[in-house]
Amino acid sequence: MDSSLQLEKRLARRGITRREFMKFCAAMAATLALPARYTPRIAAALNEAARTPLVWLEFQDCAGNTESFLRASNPTVVEIVLEILSVNYHETIMAPAGRMAEKSLLDTVEQYPGQYIAVVEGSIPTKDGGVYCTIGGRTALDIVREVCGKALATIAVGACAWDGGWPAASPNPTGAVGVQKAVPGLKNLINMPGCPMNVANLTAVIVHFLTFNELPATDVMGRPLFAYGHIIHNYCPRRGHFDAGRYVEEWGDEGHRKGWCLYKMGCKGPQTYSNCPTVLWNDGTNWPIGASHGCVGCMAPAFWDTMTPFYERLPKAQVEGFGVEASADTIGLAVVGGVTAAFAAHGVVSAVRARRQPLASHEEATLTATTEKPDNQ
Amino acid sequence: MRAVENALGIQIPDNARLIRNIIEAAQYVQDHVIHFYHLHALDWVDIVSALDADPADTAALAQSISDWPKSSADYFQTVKDRLSAFVASGQLGLFANGYWGHPAYALPPEANLMAVAHYLEALDWQKEIIKIHALLGGKNPHLQTYLVGGMAVPVNPNEQSAINAHTIARLKSWARMGLDFVAKVYIPDLLAVASFYKDWAGLGGGVGNYLAYGDFPQVGDDPNTFFLPRGVIFNKELSPPKPLDEQAIKEYVAHSWYAYTEGDQVAKHPSEGETQPNYTGPQPPYDFLNTDGKYSWLKSPRYQDAPMEVGPLARMLVAYASGHARVQEVVNMVLDTLGVGPEALFSTLGRVAARGVETLVLAEQLENWIDELAANMGRGDWAVFNGDMWEKKNWPDEAYGWGSTEAPRGALGHWVHIKNGMIANYQAIVPSTWNASPRDANGQRGPYEAALIDTPVADPEQPIEILRTVHSFDPCMACAVHVVDGRGREVTRIKIV
Amino acid sequence: MRRRVYVWEVPVRLTHWVNVICIVILSLTGYFIANPYLRISPREAYGQYFMGGVRWLHFVTAFVFIASLLLRTYWAFAGNEWASWRGLFPFLSKEGRRSMKEALRYYAFLRREPPEVTGHNALAGMTYMFIVTFYFLIIFTGLALYGWLHPVGVIPALTGWIFQIIGVQTVRWIHHFLMYLLIAFAIHHVYSAWLVDMEEGNGLMSSIFSGFKFIRENAKPDWIVSKKEPSISIAEDESVSSASEPQTA
Repeated sequence: MDSSLQLEKRLARRGITRREFMKFCAAMAATLALPARYTPRIAAALNEAARTPLVWLEFQDCAGNTESFLRASNPTVVEIVLEILSVNYHETIMAPAGRMAEKSLLDTVEQYPGQYIAVVEGSIPTKDGGVYCTIGGRTALDIVREVCGKALATIAVGACAWDGGWPAASPNPTGAVGVQKAVPGLKNLINMPGCPMNVANLTAVIVHFLTFNELPATDVMGRPLFAYGHIIHNYCPRRGHFDAGRYVEEWGDEGHRKGWCLYKMGCKGPQTYSNCPTVLWNDGTNWPIGASHGCVGCMAPAFWDTMTPFYERLPKAQVEGFGVEASADTIGLAVVGGVTAAFAAHGVVSAVRARRQPLASHEEATLTATTEKPDNQ
Repeated sequence: MRAVENALGIQIPDNARLIRNIIEAAQYVQDHVIHFYHLHALDWVDIVSALDADPADTAALAQSISDWPKSSADYFQTVKDRLSAFVASGQLGLFANGYWGHPAYALPPEANLMAVAHYLEALDWQKEIIKIHALLGGKNPHLQTYLVGGMAVPVNPNEQSAINAHTIARLKSWARMGLDFVAKVYIPDLLAVASFYKDWAGLGGGVGNYLAYGDFPQVGDDPNTFFLPRGVIFNKELSPPKPLDEQAIKEYVAHSWYAYTEGDQVAKHPSEGETQPNYTGPQPPYDFLNTDGKYSWLKSPRYQDAPMEVGPLARMLVAYASGHARVQEVVNMVLDTLGVGPEALFSTLGRVAARGVETLVLAEQLENWIDELAANMGRGDWAVFNGDMWEKKNWPDEAYGWGSTEAPRGALGHWVHIKNGMIANYQAIVPSTWNASPRDANGQRGPYEAALIDTPVADPEQPIEILRTVHSFDPCMACAVHVVDGRGREVTRIKIV
Repeated sequence: MRRRVYVWEVPVRLTHWVNVICIVILSLTGYFIANPYLRISPREAYGQYFMGGVRWLHFVTAFVFIASLLLRTYWAFAGNEWASWRGLFPFLSKEGRRSMKEALRYYAFLRREPPEVTGHNALAGMTYMFIVTFYFLIIFTGLALYGWLHPVGVIPALTGWIFQIIGVQTVRWIHHFLMYLLIAFAIHHVYSAWLVDMEEGNGLMSSIFSGFKFIRENAKPDWIVSKKEPSISIAEDESVSSASEPQTA
């Protein structure tokens, strides 16, 4: 068996027919929001590609994106690993460990400079010389700069690799940053935020890349438009309830059971750009709002700091004298109340004064006019 | 979450208890299988050797241990072809630089091929079974449905957006699919592989103390009703376990990169714990860590000043010693099949076996909890959330809470101190902190370190024996282990995955 | 004797009242959008588009409000001295600073007579500077949030950069909080108008309907008149007052 064995033939050996293969390519085209005419092009790309090497780096992470990767269904992780890509380094699922594992990474960087895809999961600590995350004695910063710097393309998966995520949440004790800050000026970087990112989008990016030899179009934050182009709210199946004005008022109430809008429970669907409502999770099984819990905005920038409290519509402000945290309404009403009280008091004093000391100008306009000496006329 | 519920004295509705049990049990079943096949199996299974296997003999072997339908010669031929094509491509990817051909690999080629086939099957299976999480919590990983006071997934048999009969049916079908794979693939594979590695029943024992918080309440949140019981075992004694005293848990930082205000020799209970980083190690890049000083980002939790092992083995030992009938039955079946006594449990192999036993017991139990949920629903009990303490204005000025659970890899505890509606202190002791803890102020080694003592290593450059023991604990991904020989020279660095 | 002076020209009065209506509608709808407190019946959704309707009203009113402010901005350059943009910055001129001091002393009960002005006093002018700033901020954040809904086109291109600096939640917080500042201003505004009307007796309250105020014959020119063009405004005064019958108070 030679290495030029085409994917379609390889699949045929496993009992996957050409028809099924084309169906997969069509599904992929749909995920990427491509017209149907691209289906043959995707098929051709998958067939012809020599397996592109991929290294998956993990730093300050919980392996959530790795777990998400394992849930891949179109294609499955088995197909990705055995037939579509050459996943050369992935700490969690690779066979070797320690020195031999690091050899796999070094070999890839040396043998395929500028030809491999680097996937980064987890944030990179920068404080105190980067001691908060070291692998084999090397800092995460050192590794990410070398590996991503020499990569054909870099995909930052998850909130942490994007903008620091959870480790970077205030007060960010380790000085955690995402790839775009850790490797300034990095070209060909795709950001796929989320906690974790949805693997349906990762596989779509990979297939897009293999098909067109370029990365998908992105927004100003480096997020692919096909996955992060619209707010959840605009594609939410509960949008009808929102527009009609039917909201869950408390957990377990009638509206909650009936599947009404979770807006008042702090759902961040209106604040979050993601294709969750259309691609769903776990092979289309469900998604958070589908399970009657509001969106927490995990695909939004710095979401631990900006999207909390998860169960409120607006963030809380810490203002002296308003307790530990106060809503905009509390402070706003205090301001309005304060102004009203101040002017009410002023009004009372003014009225008393007007009675005790009537203003001459009211009744005796001419008299008053003389008291005020016009000096510049 | 349980820590806050504990602090505020919240009782969750029965349905919330059941949904939590279902989610957690599904997590165990999926996670243990992933651990066995994808994170641990390649320490025992030589993939390259599988290329020498005869598919017909493999089919015969597979059929002799299980009636799993995918055991035909044609099936194993397909797997072998796929593997051959992969190897022939010259791009070995994840499997490059493995320790293939190492003398410590003891399985015949046919057993290796069978294991490889199930490695691939399990990858496809795990993403299906975990849809239980997606259905109940929206997505996996990181499902979103846990609330302080219950769950956010509503129950109503007459609504399409709530847990209804359709949901129950889907949950049950996944639960059965889970049990099917565990009973017909995982357990037979485990026993088959273990039978070639019985020498590991005498290796990797470790500290010999076991701690289980226990979990899966059968009534309310009463620890006495836990399906997997709570208890502590000292010195490998299988007499009834001692009751757990949460106050006896203390953490040292003598060898950890943290500082305590009272000095680094004291031990502190987590409710008053501190997390002040104090890095004293070398500036990277470095090759060597001095274990006489501080050498880890993990603290050293101790129970009554003793290091404790946590995880499936600890849970199964506590359950076994507490007289849990089904656990005793399955453990005895495993011991009988392998022809070893209960003392074999205190080992690397014991850890691997306990994980399998637990998976089977929970996969069987999973459907019972789904049925219980359905029964509640049928009775008109649809409550999933207790909102008494949802608003902060109902909170006391100050409260302390302890929440415990059993994560698949071991006992997990959270401690919270709430003051004026804010968290004043929050500490967590995660399972790998117990297991991978560095030495404490008294110089006692943690379970990993203790378990590695006297492990023979055939080739220091290919220390697969060390991986077997460390992996048997199911370490949390983000941790690192450093092994140092008697002269202080680092034998090797192992990335734990 | 007092004479009738045409102070508030039609665009000033028009935009004033459009702004009042807009602010009332925007506050009511805006608060509802942030916190939909009404329970809508769970009937079938035909004809039920309540939140949608409220949002529609909010957006339409917002654009009317913007148009009104654009007109007013134009008039700040094209209109008479009391409509001028200079009125926002009393501290830039010596007369302005003096008038501010007078007004402050009056409000603090340190001086009996209200400051004598034809338009509004210098302190009031400065509060309008803050109000115009608030208007700008609430419109900018509003447009940014409007662009957020569908980030294609001119509006998000002009405003979207804010989300790179502060998150969308902070933008929402500011937009929401500014509403309270505007409400607080409105209370102050109505009160001060009532007070000055009562004390000065110059027909301030009615002037915002009619445009005319009643000013003493020998009143000083306003602080707002720039040094370069004092005669023009006086001339306008006279032309207007001569056009209508002078009246006494």
